[in-house]
Formats: sequence, structure tokens, C-alpha cells
Amino acid sequence: MVGWIREFGAFLRRTSTTAGFGLMLIWRTALVLPHALAPRRFRNILDLIFIYAIGALPVTLVVSVFTGMILALNTGLSLKDFGQEQMIGRIVAVSLVREMGPFMTALILAASVGSGVAAEIGTMKISEEIDALEIMSISPIKFLVLPRMVALTLVCPLMTLFAGVVGILGGILVSEFQLGVNWVTFKNDALLHLQKKDVYTGLLKSFIFGLTIATVGCTQGLITRGGATGVGSSTRRSVVVTFLLVIIIGYYVTWMFFS
Amino acid sequence: MIKLQNVHKRLGGRAVLAGFDLDIGRGETLVLLGRSGTGKSVTLRHIVGLMQPDQGHIEVLGSDISTLKGRELMKHRRRIGYLFQDGALLNWLNLGDNVALPLRENMLCSASEIEDRVFKVLSQVELEQHADKLPSEISGGMRKRAGLARALVCNPEIVLYDEPTSGLDPISSSLINRLIDDLKSSTQITQVVVTHDMASAFEIGDRIALLHEGKVRALGTADEVRNSSDPAVSQFIHGRIEGPLAREPLPEPQPETETDEGSDPQQKENIQ
Ligand SMILES: Nc1ncnc2c1ncn2[C@@H]1O[C@H](COP(=O)(O)OP(=O)(O)OP(=O)(O)O)[C@@H](O)[C@H]1O
Ligand SMILES: [Mg+2]
Repeated sequence: MVGWIREFGAFLRRTSTTAGFGLMLIWRTALVLPHALAPRRFRNILDLIFIYAIGALPVTLVVSVFTGMILALNTGLSLKDFGQEQMIGRIVAVSLVREMGPFMTALILAASVGSGVAAEIGTMKISEEIDALEIMSISPIKFLVLPRMVALTLVCPLMTLFAGVVGILGGILVSEFQLGVNWVTFKNDALLHLQKKDVYTGLLKSFIFGLTIATVGCTQGLITRGGATGVGSSTRRSVVVTFLLVIIIGYYVTWMFFS
Repeated sequence: MIKLQNVHKRLGGRAVLAGFDLDIGRGETLVLLGRSGTGKSVTLRHIVGLMQPDQGHIEVLGSDISTLKGRELMKHRRRIGYLFQDGALLNWLNLGDNVALPLRENMLCSASEIEDRVFKVLSQVELEQHADKLPSEISGGMRKRAGLARALVCNPEIVLYDEPTSGLDPISSSLINRLIDDLKSSTQITQVVVTHDMASAFEIGDRIALLHEGKVRALGTADEVRNSSDPAVSQFIHGRIEGPLAREPLPEPQPETETDEGSDPQQKENIQ
């Protein structure tokens, strides 16, 4: 029992130091944000955006098409029982744009890109490359963290837009061919009920998610120690922590704007 | 140039440095010997301010390195070159870009000047034909030589070498030793060399220090060390198994206190 409590105390302490480290990292990166416009950094950021977006594209495509299809099928069948299937457009569009799109994009990016960032920086940490940067008077924040944070914070909303569009197309496919709702009906209903607010809260959410993924990835990378096993557990932890944070933050953003 | 006074440092529940004293003059090449795990790398990390002593005083290039922060620390470090045990090259840059990195990032000179300097240091370590290869495409020994080129590219006043010749073939080792020797005679550079290679230690060292149990056990010129009557010294240089240095240092049993680096907030603060 005592051992269990002590264990839990150590866990709490570790978690809070890591959280503090992550928040500090955001702050320090914000302080050097203008450096993102320096030609060398800027090119690096564009490269990273490209790499991250291309890397996550296939999975995002498949996941969002099927999410749209599942949404349409599930709700469509229930609506059909009440003869209300012409309302399918608004339901698929609003839930994709407001909730599902940002959410699934964030999870995909956390698993594919965020974990990669943690592993990359963690490996650099244990092979003394971060120390080498510091000795060469190159700030790891400016050189490594800033480009990754900026790139991921931009890629996440971009991919969310893409996921939203593709997901809606998936929904249209199902409505057209399985529910017998014409795509024009779908489109009109969606456009009529989709508000600007849905779009910008969705994008704001994905912006915050992007920042979260990058911060967790960089933090876990920078605090890595203990060889290859250390890199492994940092990578795993970055995914788990990001998943939790995305769900919790997602709830609170929705709550702030819609209640 | 480099002065360590009564430095103490606990790591992982063990006193790694315990009253370490060393004074290295300008233009001197000091060889630091010691068994594995005695804290040679830790000593070098203290000299560049990657680790802070728990107690004691470290003066490098005329200022107390543990009090330097931010820009001052950066300016200071630019005058120091450091060869890491495994080279520590960035794996996504080719050798040329790796070596050019400190010059480019700190905008120390023009593009053509950078090219000249990179070519010059790469030829010094005989890697000029491999400038466009990635670190993963070359051997460990070549990576180490590239790391050395990077340490030298900013014309440092102090160079710290962490095992510059371990893992190298005899010819590459001689090349590195000659390079260290040349730097010594042609410039006023101060060098600290951690090595396990006795022959090169005696060849390049103006003075040799033996680190044992957190202290400098013996210090002197090559001849003084060779003829030392200290049994620990002669055991070490002849590599005998029996003697005062017989056991690897072990952590003392400790009550549960975390003194390791990762959970030390001070250490994290240093990442900037
Ligand atoms: N960051 C750290 N956290 C905890 N313990 C550490 C840390 N760095 C070094 N140590 C411990 O300090 C001791 C000295 O390590 P150091 O790397 O300086 O040895 P060394 O003399 O360079 O050995 P080698 O010749 O094998 O390179 C070791 O016992 C090591 O476990
Ligand atoms: Mg070492």
C-alpha cells in the first residue's frame, strides 16, 4: 500500500515536471517565433510541412472517407425510420467539420508524425547530438523545436480541411447509393445548416491539436534518456499523452464555444 | 585557460567527481586517463558547461562557466571545440553540411569562406572526398573524424577530445595523433584529450593526468608518469589486472534521492 502511494506520488511528480517542461517549451518557442521567417528556417519549415502532409495523406484519406461513410450510414438508417433522411447532409457535415475531422486528423498525426518527432529528437538526445548543438552555440529550440512546432501547427488544420472535404464526399457516396438521398439534397441541407462558427471552431481546434502534438513530441524527445529503450518509451508515451490531451482539450474547446 | 578547483559532482547516486583539481595552461595539451566510468566524459562536460558542478569552481577562458547564461555562454562556447565519443553528427545532413553547420548557423562568415574552411578541415582528417555522404553511409571511424573536423572548423582556442582514436584503425589513429600534434605546435591551442591509447597519450601529452575515484591521482609529464612510483599509475599504464585500481567503481547504496540528470530541473533549464 505504502509502496503504491509512493509510486503514485513519483508518477504525479514526473507528470507535473514534464507538463511544466512542455509549457516552458511553448513559451520559449513563442519567444523565438520571428526566427521562423529567417530564410534557412523558413525553408526547413516548408520541407517539414511537405513531409508531414504527404506522410499522413494516405491514412487520412482512407480514414476520413470511411468515417464519412459510417456517419452517413449510421445516422441515415435511423433517420430513414422516421422518414427524415433528407436531414442527412447537415448531420454528416456538421459533425465532421466540428468534431470528427479535427479529432481524427489529430489522432492520425499524433500516431504518424508526433511519434516520429519524439523518436527523432530522442535519438538525437541519446547520441549526444543535442549536446553537440548546444556546444556549437546552436539553440535546439530554434534549430529543432521551432520548425517542428510551426510545421505541425499548420499541417494539422490543413489536413483537417482535407479530411472534412473527403469525409463529406464519403457521406455523399453512401447517401446517394445506399440511402437514396440525392447529392444535391445532401449539399443543400449541409450548406444551409453548416455555420461559419462550425468551420472556425473546427480549425481552431485542429490548430491547438497541432500545437499539442508538436509540443508533446518535442518534450518527450528532449527528456529522453537511457539508450534505445528510452527512445522507445518516449515514442510510446508521446502517442498516449497526445491522445489523452486531444480528447480532453477537444471537449473543452467545444464546451467553450457551444454551451 | 582551464581551471577546475575542488569540483564535486554526484550522478546516479555516486560521487563521480569528488574534489577534482586541475589547472591547464594556454597552449598545453593535457591527456586525461582513467578507467571506464571514472568520469572523464563528465569532466569534459563540466568544462563546456553542459553539466554544473554540485560544488567547486570551474574557470574557462577567464570566466566562471557555471555563472554564464544565454548569449554570454554561447559566445564562450564558440571558442571551444568538442569531439564527442561517437561523433554526434546530425544524421540528415551530409558531412560537408555537418561540418559547415556551426559556421552557417552562427553566421560567422561568407558562403565562399565557409566552403574553403570546410574543405580545409575535411582534408585535415582526409575526408574531403566524402563531403557529400550522409553519416549513415560511412564507417564509425569516419564519423569520428568528421566530428573532429566539425570541432575544428571554427578555429577554437580550446579543443576537448573524448576518445579521438578509439575504434579507429592504426593508420587513422596516427593521422589523428599527428593532427593533434600539429595543432599543438602551429597554434596556441589548448587541448584536453581523453584517451585509452597509452602510446598516443605519451606521444601527444605535454602532461598526463590519471583520474581515479573522483580525483586526479597523478599528474605529470610523460616521463614523470612513466617512472611514477605510484602503484595505481604503473598498474594503469601497463594494464595489469591486479592492483589498487582493480575494481570498477560501483554506486554506493543510497537512500531514495533522485540526483540523476533527467529529473534535475536545473539541467532542463539549460536547454535553450
Ligand atoms: N547523465 C548522467 N546521469 C547519471 N549518471 C551519469 C550520467 N552521466 C554519467 N553518469 C555516470 O557517471 C560515471 C562516469 O561517466 P563518464 O561517462 O564520465 O565515464 P568515462 O570516464 O568517460 O568512461 P568511458 O571511458 O567508458 O567513456 C558513470 O558511472 C556514469 O554512469
Ligand atoms: Mg566517456
